Amino acid sequence: MLEVIDINAFYGDIQALWNISLVIHGGEIVTFIGSNGAGKSTIMKTIAGLVKLKGGNIVFEGIRLDRLPAHRIVELGISMVPEGRRLFPEMTVLENLEVGASTKAASRLRYSTVNWIHELFPILEERSKQVAGTLSGGEQQMLAIGRALMARPKLLLIDEMSLGLSPIVVERILQVIQDVNRQKKLTIVLVEQDVGIALSAANRGYIVENGRIVEEGDIQALQSNARITEAYLGVSQREKTV
Amino acid sequence: MKIFIQTIAYGVLVGAMYGLVTLGLGLLMGVMKFLNVAHGTFIVLGGYISYWLFALYGVNPYLSIPLVVIVMFLIGLIFYKLTLSPLLKLPSIGSRIDSSMLITFGVIYVVDNLMTIFWKPDVRTIVASFTGKSIQICGTKFSVTGLYGFAVAVIVAVVLYFILGRTSFGKRVRAATQDAEAAGLCGINVHRTYFISSGIAIALAGVAGVIVVSSYSINANGGLSWLLVAFVVMILAGEGNINAIVPAGLILGLLESIGVFIVGAPYRQAVALVIFIIILMFRPQGLFSKRGHTNR
Amino acid sequence: MINTKRTIVLAAITLLFVVLPLFVELGSSSMNILILLFVYIVLSQSWNLLGGYTGQINLGLAAFFGCSVLVTHLLWKSGMPICFAILAGSFSSVVLAGIIGLPTLRLRGVYFAIGTIALAEALRIIMGNVFPTSLSLPGTYASSFNVYPRYYLALGIAVFTVIVIERLVKSKFGLGIVCVRDDEEAAQVTGINTFKIKFVAFLMSAFLAGLAGGAYSFNRFYFHHISAVFEPLWTFQPLMAVVIGGSGTIAGPVIGSFFLVVLSELFAQNLGEAHLIIFGILFVLVVLFSPSGLVGWERGLRKVVGGLPMKHER
Repeated sequence: MLEVIDINAFYGDIQALWNISLVIHGGEIVTFIGSNGAGKSTIMKTIAGLVKLKGGNIVFEGIRLDRLPAHRIVELGISMVPEGRRLFPEMTVLENLEVGASTKAASRLRYSTVNWIHELFPILEERSKQVAGTLSGGEQQMLAIGRALMARPKLLLIDEMSLGLSPIVVERILQVIQDVNRQKKLTIVLVEQDVGIALSAANRGYIVENGRIVEEGDIQALQSNARITEAYLGVSQREKTV
Repeated sequence: MKIFIQTIAYGVLVGAMYGLVTLGLGLLMGVMKFLNVAHGTFIVLGGYISYWLFALYGVNPYLSIPLVVIVMFLIGLIFYKLTLSPLLKLPSIGSRIDSSMLITFGVIYVVDNLMTIFWKPDVRTIVASFTGKSIQICGTKFSVTGLYGFAVAVIVAVVLYFILGRTSFGKRVRAATQDAEAAGLCGINVHRTYFISSGIAIALAGVAGVIVVSSYSINANGGLSWLLVAFVVMILAGEGNINAIVPAGLILGLLESIGVFIVGAPYRQAVALVIFIIILMFRPQGLFSKRGHTNR
Repeated sequence: MINTKRTIVLAAITLLFVVLPLFVELGSSSMNILILLFVYIVLSQSWNLLGGYTGQINLGLAAFFGCSVLVTHLLWKSGMPICFAILAGSFSSVVLAGIIGLPTLRLRGVYFAIGTIALAEALRIIMGNVFPTSLSLPGTYASSFNVYPRYYLALGIAVFTVIVIERLVKSKFGLGIVCVRDDEEAAQVTGINTFKIKFVAFLMSAFLAGLAGGAYSFNRFYFHHISAVFEPLWTFQPLMAVVIGGSGTIAGPVIGSFFLVVLSELFAQNLGEAHLIIFGILFVLVVLFSPSGLVGWERGLRKVVGGLPMKHER
């Protein structure tokens, strides 16, 4: 479905990604794991069109993405839930959802999509008229995911979903994500700092370090991978936040 | 007492016009963080269009508004494409504001002088059947042009409120204003949104020009004084607070009118100046802003 | 460290201007144009100090210029020797700047620009009301009029200004203001009192504008409406000169002023108002395509003119 071929990405003059190549197949849940600043988010942002690449290319269902602006990429079927959620703080919950369906295709189905989101996350229906900036962390994350789903994507990118959320909320959201993946065959890419979460939800994973991919494999393989258990699981003491 | 009520009435009418004059500037600033110092110039341009329609074809200025809107909207699109869109490549918001100030400053030179060459620097005003007349309501005199101006201001403000608040386009504009990158991720073509918003902003300036030329007068170089009015109202309303602009204009109009009532007409500018300084010193984020003291 | 190349160029140009009227018969109108050029050089250096180096766009420069013109004229008329009158005029500009600066410098860039232009315009209108009639010097002054001292005084002030700016920009203070321009928050965090620096730069800029006003006043007998010297034109023309010539440099304002004044004279005869349109278009083109102005363009060709690094995009 999606192929990233040998890309290099830069923030201004500073190189962040070196020769990244990876594949995403339809219907799977793939995760990128790595410590802070490793480049996982950068890969996502490059796919979504927020970071321009120099060299290499990204192909989604046969179409090259590298020259396209973000909104065109959304039209093609890729939607991203950005790090830090980036909700529209002064718009209501409902408005945030509505605006998520801004592409032509999505706007026709807006009404029914909103109903679907309300089924997935009932709290959002309750809070429809509330201004997004006043929601709790978990509710904001749900809204952010809901907003991204409003675009009716074929591929959903979720960047650092668990940051600042309590384990219960994360569990709930993960459940919803996995259900959507199963029922609607929605392909999902998950970037997570918390390796435990990443490993519990995904089918496959890539380990990113210093802007390069250093390992890849099925979840079972990764779970018993020495690099991961030593480097990541050892230090991953999850504190309760929120 | 009667004089005082008259003063209030006058202040309200003038204030509504002040608000109308500011809408275009506030929209550009709020949505794109561009400061269009040529805003006054566009007001004058809109006024000229209305003036010539009246002088040559006898068109009632208030009826000319739709045509002015269309023409100025197109001019706004051109203005955006030529001078503002290149600035979007600049990295930070701060440099965007400064560069937009500089560039639109150059636009003033070009357009003001074009207008001076084509239309001479003479002062123009529309003298029609309603000019200078006033009507009495409850014993208070209201000038006819002032009432028309008030009506137009209120209508435009309400229409703008609905466009921004209720339509899909308006929501896209608000989204792009609050987080342009996230808006892109929702499939919003942010550049096109900016493009159309610029057209609207200049069209708003044009409508303000129609009211200015029919209630007062315009001349080719007079844009600056209206720009300054718009500045003050925009600061009063608070940055990005488009719905607060007409109320802020009303407040300015009232304060100015009351101030003049107290100290006398020759000191009108001094009154406005004092108001402005007080606001700058004690509440530079405006009267309606939720955020705290804006400081860099 | 003295940039010897630039010093030589500066000295050569100064010498040229010093010697020029002695050997070439310049009519009084040409001398007037040159005096205006020197005034513009000082004004643009003044604007550039605040705008190009400290990053504060001051749209109210005309207030400081006009204030000094007025004060110089009044003091000189009442008998004070011209040099003291000019100094007093400049000082009055500094005082005005102190008053204006306190509320406005605390504001963000945009609001600072808005505040300064609003205050300058208000001042212009007030001056128009306070001095509605014309101002002129008594006849005794007229009879002893000689353009040469005025020329050399203006030239001297211009050279003085350029030297002062150069020393300033190379000093620790100069480093401070550039820090404030590039990233005010970062500067604050390193312990620089940014408000104080901006304020001092503001006062200095006003002083220089005052000097320009004094030199200009010396050359005028008659002011039909004194409010004319408070017109925004006296802010906008130097601004154009700086941007076209190259902001954030020492040579930029000088080059821009040459450009502006000389070309204005050449074009104004033939094209009338259209020449302003040409400047406007040129200005827009410079901002869009060559933000470092003519200096930047020339720098690509030869490395004669120097200065602090170009104003970076912030």
